[in-house]
Amino acid sequence: MPAAAALVRPGDTLALGGMTLYRRPMAFVRELLRQGTGDLTLLAMTAGLEGDLLVGAGRVRRLRTCYFGLEVFGLAPMFTQLASQGQIEIIEETEASLAWGLRAALAGLGFLPGPGWLGTDLPAVRPDVKLVQDPYSGQRYMAYPALRPDVAVIHVPVADRQGNAALIGNLGIDREIALLAGRTIVTAERLVDSPADFGYQADIGYMSVSAVVEAPGGAAPTSCYPYYPLDAAAIMEYVQACQRGEFQQYLEEVVKRQTSSVKRQVSNVKRGT
Amino acid sequence: MELTDYTVDELICTCIAHQVADGDLVAQGLATPLVLAGYMLAKRTHAPGLFFASAVGNTVCDGWSPLSLTTMEAFWLGRAVRFLTFTEIICELLPIGQPKEFFRPAQVDAYGHTNNVVFGDYRRPRLRLPGAGGIPDVTTYSPRVYLYVPRHGRATFVPKLDFRSGVGVIADETERRKLGVTSPGPRYLVSDLGTFDFAGSGGRMRLLTYHRDVTIEHIQARTGFPLAIAPDVHETSPPTAEEVRLLREEIDPLGIRQLETLGGMARWQKLQEIINQEIRNQ
Repeated sequence: MPAAAALVRPGDTLALGGMTLYRRPMAFVRELLRQGTGDLTLLAMTAGLEGDLLVGAGRVRRLRTCYFGLEVFGLAPMFTQLASQGQIEIIEETEASLAWGLRAALAGLGFLPGPGWLGTDLPAVRPDVKLVQDPYSGQRYMAYPALRPDVAVIHVPVADRQGNAALIGNLGIDREIALLAGRTIVTAERLVDSPADFGYQADIGYMSVSAVVEAPGGAAPTSCYPYYPLDAAAIMEYVQACQRGEFQQYLEEVVKRQTSSVKRQVSNVKRGT
Repeated sequence: MELTDYTVDELICTCIAHQVADGDLVAQGLATPLVLAGYMLAKRTHAPGLFFASAVGNTVCDGWSPLSLTTMEAFWLGRAVRFLTFTEIICELLPIGQPKEFFRPAQVDAYGHTNNVVFGDYRRPRLRLPGAGGIPDVTTYSPRVYLYVPRHGRATFVPKLDFRSGVGVIADETERRKLGVTSPGPRYLVSDLGTFDFAGSGGRMRLLTYHRDVTIEHIQARTGFPLAIAPDVHETSPPTAEEVRLLREEIDPLGIRQLETLGGMARWQKLQEIINQEIRNQ
């Protein structure tokens, strides 16, 4: 894990796999916090606990996401505090700007026109995103610029040692960021000889993966289907620590921990025939 | 007719359920248990052929499940009829499938324009909010945008938005075409005080029904702009005994839907109680 985390350099655009409180690379984030890598641009479709730790620790200079929160557990406390104080640069994104930006990069294009934003204040706070006109119908669209992360980190249930990795649902933007990033790191609940032995196909191919790390419990306290659900009590502990103004103590404690304890398995990954 | 005992969260769920038709594709975002309970209620009553597009799990699903804080993801994945990447959901399913979706605005104005980005000045916000997700996208093109507000007040129903992150009704056809907006705007809004559409003059918000024990004057006093009133304005139809039973006993026995209607300490205590109950159930 330390060698994999060292692949993240100060100033990188770091894309974290999973969604909100599901299959987030928590063990990796703890190692990154230990190493002290900062000045990061954090890119996620939706950011949650993993992002709040990095933001609260002062490692994130710039943010690109369309949602940053802890769902029913409330606001992401450190993001909310630092963003409200203007201590973090936010590149305003929406689902469309992120998704069409990734698709533009996958297509090798500088941008893709897509729906959205028209009639809202988004264009005013993103003057770098231009309008284009459909040469056929005359309809106007936003020209969403291509998005290419420097590093992608994706926690998966099952991978082989070459980096072929199965997501088993909850696909998020993981396939896209794995293909696009200059360096892609996979952390896995289980390393196996081949995902096919378990009846799964790889969603991420070995050719786009730079490093593979076995990390059982590596997403906890977020979930890793089908191994374990999100740990609601642990997420509440974090929110409560922040409410008491004890983010720093929480951070020190969490960084010391090698892996989070996993409280319950949803089901076992079945071996295929 | 026997009067049914019901709470306002159950009434909101029922209003949401009644906006859904059999065979619909419905989408739900993050942390919207009132909407999810409403969809599940529709699935269990008049809309058995409902399909769910879920942001948790990134699937299309055809089953129903009791609400849970911890195991919904496993349900969406275990009962999925389709796995999608989030880019497929955004670039294909939403613009082409055009599911019905209920959004919860942090601020809404008289024409249904919404804000989920900041309170206060954008550059120096009083409070940064979690974000607008796909609302700035979907509201420009979707004919099936719905809104809900669990706690109706002047902080939410404002004369002027701090930031516009969702498009409402732009009644002037020329203006709408010039902007490139194709959505007609939100169809409907339900709050804990009443139900509304946007058929007032120039697309203004219009009171359709007031909930039990709520007066029109009270709703107007809690709204930061003058409301249009439908000529046949009347009391909101109450949930049936069976709808209330389904919500309480089968769809949401833990009362997760109340996390949207409660505030402050009461909400916090309810959240603790639900988590403790889910841990005991494991």
